[in-house]
Amino acid sequence: MRPVAAETDTGTVTETAIYVYGILPADVEIDDDARGVGDPPAEVTTVHSGPIAALVSEIPHDAPLGRPQDLTAHASLLDSAAAEVPVLPLRFGAVVADERAVVDELLDANRDDFTAALEQLEGMAEYVVRARYDEQAILREILSENDGMARLAKAIRGKPEEATRNERMALGEHITQAIEAKRAADTQLVADALDELVEEFAPRQPTHEEEAVNLAVLAETDREKDLEAAIGELAKEWEGRVEVRLLGPLAAYDFVVTRTPE
Amino acid sequence: MTTAVQPSGGGGGLDRPSSSGLADVIDTILDKGLVIDAYVRVSLVGIELLTVDARIVVASVDTYLRFAEAVNRLDISGTEQKGLPDLLEDVTSGGAKAKTRGALDAAGDKLRDILGDDEEEPVSRGRKGR
Repeated sequence: MRPVAAETDTGTVTETAIYVYGILPADVEIDDDARGVGDPPAEVTTVHSGPIAALVSEIPHDAPLGRPQDLTAHASLLDSAAAEVPVLPLRFGAVVADERAVVDELLDANRDDFTAALEQLEGMAEYVVRARYDEQAILREILSENDGMARLAKAIRGKPEEATRNERMALGEHITQAIEAKRAADTQLVADALDELVEEFAPRQPTHEEEAVNLAVLAETDREKDLEAAIGELAKEWEGRVEVRLLGPLAAYDFVVTRTPE
Repeated sequence: MTTAVQPSGGGGGLDRPSSSGLADVIDTILDKGLVIDAYVRVSLVGIELLTVDARIVVASVDTYLRFAEAVNRLDISGTEQKGLPDLLEDVTSGGAKAKTRGALDAAGDKLRDILGDDEEEPVSRGRKGR
């Protein structure tokens, strides 16, 4: 293992490090006006090694990293690349000592894995289906399906919270469980609707209590219109009950895996 | 605050934002993607990484009580006049909702203009670290 140091091979202390966004094929050209993280946003370049390259920019050592602008810069740079070419996205915050370290320790050390993964991603990108229940609609639906809950709802109606705390706790817990069950069923519905159109699925953890679907899919960018149509149909069916969003094309964050170091 | 601001997109009800909002970005790039081996990575000497806690939904007392209160309000707003099954039918068949849709959509568009395109997820979504 190599100790981490802010020194170059010549022994001089560097004032900048290299921020790495992702890995892509070496023959990809980067727009001159592409900008990345930092304040002001840094110029984005590539560091090459054989058939693959890393998308990088310089970052001062003392720069705070992680402002909202940095996060969106990282994402939008990779996502716009992913719309055109295969990209292996790195998690936000990957910083390497210098360009040589990018080549030696990142690109060369993982060349076969990266090359194979990029080949697999050719022509594909990630899309994310996110949907959220309309609170009133889903609560009505749940109460109408369960007499016990409807009774609890009646028991608390118009009464102060302190006087009905137990009933409220029970009702809330049941509703949470009912939403979990609906989430699973509705996620499955989306997956079924997209089954023919996508290569792979990666369900994500819900990020909100009323989230209906949070599902990443890997699909050919050529089939984006079909994907939109399929999701659009569901969205229409669910109108008033679930709000549906389709994000993408995105870099395939949910479909790249980091191998545990040996 | 509720999710009322969330634009419902054109026509079919599918929202198709052209770029991801910050909340979506956070869910994605802090949590997913390749991780460089720890020893390759500069130990962020001097670089302060402003981490953002991953937001995971944990069922809590607060959540339960909030749902209960939402039910309480829900009852006041409509169930007195109608039985629940009737209401459900209204919801699934689009009943009264469909009639007011045009006006609501227009209001949604206005809000969207004011807020900028991707203002979203205004609800209690976890915390941002600093």
